[in-house]
Amino acid sequence: MQMARSIFTVFITLTTITAYAQKKATINGTVKDAASGETLIGASVTLQELPAVGTATNNYGFYSLAVAEGEYTVLFTCVGYNPVTQKIALHKNQVVNISLSAKNGLKEVVVTGKRLSNDNVVSPQMGVEKLNMLQINQVPVLLGERDILKTITLLPGIKSAGEGNTGFYVRGGASDQNLILLDEAPIYNASHLLGFFSTFNSDAIKDVNIYKGGMPAEYGGRLSSVLDVKMNDGNDKDFGGQGGIGLISSRIKIEGPIVKDKGSFMVSARRTYVDLFLKLTTDTSIRGNSLYFYDVNAKANWHFDDKNAIYISGYLGKDVLALKDVLGTNWGNKTGTLRFNHIFNSKLFSNTSVIYSNYNFVVQGLQDNARSFKATSQINDVNLKEDLQYSIGYQHTLKFGFNILYHDITPGDITSPQNSSYNNKHVEKRHGFENALYASDEWNVNKHLTFLYGLRLSGLFLLGPGTFKTYNNAGNVTSAKIYNSRTDLVKKYINLEPRFTANYIIDDQNSIKASYNRNTQNIHLLSNSSSNSPTYLYVMSSNNIKPEIADQVSTGYFRNFGDNTFEFSTEVYYKWMQNQIDYKDGAQLLVNQDVESLLTYGTGRAYGIELLLKKKYGRFNGWIGYTLSRTERRFDAINSGHYFPARQDRTHDVSVVGIYQLNKRWSFSSTFIYGTGNAVTYPTGKYSSGGLTTFSYTQRNGRRMPSSNRLDFGATLEGKEHKKYHSSWTFSIYNVYAHRDPYSITFRDSKTVPNTTEAVETSLFPTLIPSVTWNFNF
Amino acid sequence: MKNPLIYFMLFAFILVITSCDKVIDVRLDSETDRLVIEGNITDVLGPQTIKLNTNVAVSNTNTYPPVTGAIVTVTDQGGTVYKFTEGPAGTYTTPKMVGVAGNIYTMNVVINGKTYKASSIMPQLVALKSISSSDSRFNSSDGTRKITVHYQDPKGVANQYNFLMYVNGARVKRVLVNNDDFTDGNSVSFDLMEDDIGINPGDKVIVEMQCVDKSIYTYWLTLMQQNYNGPGGGVTPSDPPTNITPSTLGYFSAHTTQTKTITVK
Repeated sequence: MQMARSIFTVFITLTTITAYAQKKATINGTVKDAASGETLIGASVTLQELPAVGTATNNYGFYSLAVAEGEYTVLFTCVGYNPVTQKIALHKNQVVNISLSAKNGLKEVVVTGKRLSNDNVVSPQMGVEKLNMLQINQVPVLLGERDILKTITLLPGIKSAGEGNTGFYVRGGASDQNLILLDEAPIYNASHLLGFFSTFNSDAIKDVNIYKGGMPAEYGGRLSSVLDVKMNDGNDKDFGGQGGIGLISSRIKIEGPIVKDKGSFMVSARRTYVDLFLKLTTDTSIRGNSLYFYDVNAKANWHFDDKNAIYISGYLGKDVLALKDVLGTNWGNKTGTLRFNHIFNSKLFSNTSVIYSNYNFVVQGLQDNARSFKATSQINDVNLKEDLQYSIGYQHTLKFGFNILYHDITPGDITSPQNSSYNNKHVEKRHGFENALYASDEWNVNKHLTFLYGLRLSGLFLLGPGTFKTYNNAGNVTSAKIYNSRTDLVKKYINLEPRFTANYIIDDQNSIKASYNRNTQNIHLLSNSSSNSPTYLYVMSSNNIKPEIADQVSTGYFRNFGDNTFEFSTEVYYKWMQNQIDYKDGAQLLVNQDVESLLTYGTGRAYGIELLLKKKYGRFNGWIGYTLSRTERRFDAINSGHYFPARQDRTHDVSVVGIYQLNKRWSFSSTFIYGTGNAVTYPTGKYSSGGLTTFSYTQRNGRRMPSSNRLDFGATLEGKEHKKYHSSWTFSIYNVYAHRDPYSITFRDSKTVPNTTEAVETSLFPTLIPSVTWNFNF
Repeated sequence: MKNPLIYFMLFAFILVITSCDKVIDVRLDSETDRLVIEGNITDVLGPQTIKLNTNVAVSNTNTYPPVTGAIVTVTDQGGTVYKFTEGPAGTYTTPKMVGVAGNIYTMNVVINGKTYKASSIMPQLVALKSISSSDSRFNSSDGTRKITVHYQDPKGVANQYNFLMYVNGARVKRVLVNNDDFTDGNSVSFDLMEDDIGINPGDKVIVEMQCVDKSIYTYWLTLMQQNYNGPGGGVTPSDPPTNITPSTLGYFSAHTTQTKTITVK
C-alpha cells in the first residue's frame, strides 16, 4: 500500500505542475441521445479553434475539458449521430449538456463539410475495437440470432473457438483469459446452449468495447482481453418497446421514463423454444427432452440533479438441458450492479459501484432412485469499486480508483437421496479477496505526442477456513495445513502491473502507437474438455497455482483517408505468458478435493500481425481483417518439454464484412471467413490394448485440421411506416455454399474393410441454414 | 463424476442433429516399431500371458509384429519367480499361475539387453451381482437396449473397475471404467453406455468385470476420455500413462476377473 501511495503522489505532482500555467476555465457536461435520453459513450468533444484539443465522453456520457478562457465553437460528434456545434464564451466554468440526434439507420451520411471523427488516429489507446450496435445488428449470424460475441470474432486478433461456439481467443490467450463485463459485473460463462449462443441479448446492449492490448489500468484480473459490455439505460422521454419473433427464439424489450428526463427503466427478455419443436416430433427419444435458455436484462436509473445519479442493473440467464428420465443439467449467470455517479465539480467525476455476480451449475440424475444425485458448483462475487476521473487542463486526464472483490467458491457438492448409489460429497469452499488499486494519466504533451500510462497494483488474498495442501510434480501431497478461521491468510500474491501507451501523431490522418502492458490473473478456469462445456470449475491462485502473468508489447500504424471515411490500422504484438495451466492424463476435475494435484504448469508465447481496413460511413460499409499469428505453449511434462502450437493457434485468419443499403427499405449484408485449421494431434501409429485398437502419438498438436471457410448472407426489409409501430424482417442464410467445415477428425476401426482404420470427419452445419425473424418496435 | 459425465457427453449428440460424418483420407506421419507390452495376471488359475509386439502405421492392417527372444518373468511379493516362455511368437506364457488378491506382482522383461519393469497390485475381488438390460433412453425409438451391471462396492477402500462387453461374441469397442469416488460403500448400478453396437432383444451379452489397481484405472480412463471427441467432450489425445519403466506403450495389470452372460429381453 505504501507503494501505491507514492505512485499517487507522483501522479498528482506531475500533473499539477503543467496544469496551472495559464488562466483556465472548464466546460463539462453530459452528451445524450436526443430521442431516448440515453447517455452517449465515447462521443468526441473538440474545439474548432484549437484542433489539438479534445476529449471524449466517459462511460456515463460525462466529459470535462479545461482550456484558456476565450470564445470557442465546440463540436460534438458521435458515430451514428448528426454532429452539433455550439458557440460558447468561456470566462468561467460552464456546464454544456448536449443532445445529439441519431442518423436514420445506416443511411447515407450527409457530408456536412465538418470532419468526421479521427479518434482512432489521435487517441492514445491501441489494441481496442469499438463495435457499433447498428452494425452488429446487420451482420448475419447462425439462425438469425444477433450476437455481439460472434461479431467480435470477425475482427483481427480475435478468433472464434470454433463453429457455432461463442468462446473466443484474443491474441493467443485462452478463453478463460478474457474479462467479460456486463455493466461492470464479470460474466463467468458467456455462452448459452453449450456455446451456440452468447449471453448477450443485443436489444439490451448499448456499447461494446474490446481491448486486445494496451489495457487501461482500470481493468485487470485477466490476461488477454477485456470485453466491456454496457446495457441500455432506457428511454427517459417516451415509453416504447421492441421485439422480434424468430424461428428458434423470441425477444421483447420495454423501456420508458419513470419520471420524464429524471429517470428511466428498461427490461429486456428472450427465450429459445427449440424444446417446443422437440415435443412435436414422433421420435420418443427426442420428445420430452428439454433444451432451452432464457435471459432477462433490466436496468433503471434516476438522476437526482445534475450532479448525482444512480443506476441499478441486473442480468439473469439460465440454460436447461434435460434428457428425459436420464439426466438434467442447468446453469446460469446472475449479476447485479448498483452504481452511484457523483460530479464533485467540473473536473472531478466519481462512480461508486457495488457489484454482485454469480455463476452456478447443476447436474441431476433423473433415472431412478439408485442413480439419482444432484451435483452443484458455483461461484459468488461481491465487488466494491470506486473510479474517479479528474481532468486537469486539456493536457491531463487522471483516472484512479480501487476495487475490493470477494470470491466465494463452491467447487462441488453432491447430494443424493438415502438409497441412491451416490454418496453425499462436499469439496471445501474457498474464499478470498482479489483487490486492486490503480492510477493512470492521459497526457497530451503537445499536438504530436500523447501518453497513456498507469499502474495497477493487484493482490490476491486466499483465506481460510479449510485444509490447504501442497502437491509435488507427481501429484502427491507434500504438506497440508488446516486453517480454522475466515480471517486466516493462507496465501497472498501481490503484483504490480505497469501499463504504458504512447501515440505519435504525425498529422490528423497518420499516427504511430506503441504499448507495453503487464496483466495478471488470479482466478483460473479448469476444464479439460476442448469445447465450451458448462462444467466450469473456477479456482483461485493458491499454494500450488501461481498467478498467471502476461507481458505484451505492441506497436501499430494508424491511417485514415478519404476524410476519415476509411480507417486502416496494423498492429504487431508479442506476448509472453507465465504460469499457464494444463492437465495431467486421466484428470477427473469435477467434485474433486485434490483437483490441484492434477495440474501441470508451463509458459506460453504469442505473436502476430493484424491488419484492418474499415469503411465506416456510406451506403456501403464494412471491413476486411487479416491476422497472421502464432500461439505456443510449453510444459515440461508434455511434448518432451518443447514448445507446441496451442489449440487456438491459427496461422491465417481472414474476415470480410460488407453491409449495403440498397434503398430506404432494403439493406444487405454478408460475411466471409477463412481460417487455418486448428492445431490437432493425429496418431502416428497404432497397437492393440486390451483388444481395442489404440493409437500412439508423437507430437502434441503437430498437425492441422483442414482450413475452414464460410459465407453468410443477411438481408433486412424495413416495413412500411405506420403511425403507431414500425416493423422489419430479417433474413439470413448461414453457410451459403454449404461448405463442410470440419469440427473434428477422429480415427476408428473401419466399418467397411475389416482390420483397418478409417478417419472420420464430423461437420456441425454442413448445409446452408436459412432463418427469418420478424422485428417490431413501438 | 464418471457415470453422469458419460451421459453428458452422449447427451451432446442431441445438439448435433444437423451434424454429419464422412470418411476421409488423412495422410499421417508414422512413428512405428515402438515396443508395446501387454501384461495381464488374473486370479484364475491357468496360463497367464504377456504379449510383446510393436506398433504399426495407422494405414496398416491391425496385425502387429511380434517381439521375439525376450526374457520375461513375473515375481510375486513372496519372491516366487514365474518364468514365461514364448509361443507363439511374441506371446509369453507361464502355464500354472494364479494371482492372489492383495499381492504385488512385478514384471521383468529383458529385450536386447534392455530391462523393462512394472508392478501392479491385484485388488480384492468385488462380486458382480448381476447384469440387466433395459430400454436405452438415448435410442428408445429404435428398440435398442442398454446393459447395466450391479455390484456392492466395499466401504472405506478405493475400488476401480474395468468392464469388457461382448455382444453375440463381438467385442464392444469402448473402454468402460468406473471407480467409487462417488459411490463408496454403496450398491451400485452402472450403465455400460456405448454407441458401438446396437443391442437388441435376443442378443447374447457377456460382461467381464475386472477389479484393477489405480494406475491401470488411470490408463483405461485416459483412453476412455479420448474416445469422446464430440461436442461437450474430448481431450487432447496422448499416449496413456503407463506403469512400465522405462516408459513404453502398454501396461502391466494384475486384476480379478469374472463374467456374466444374459440374453437380452
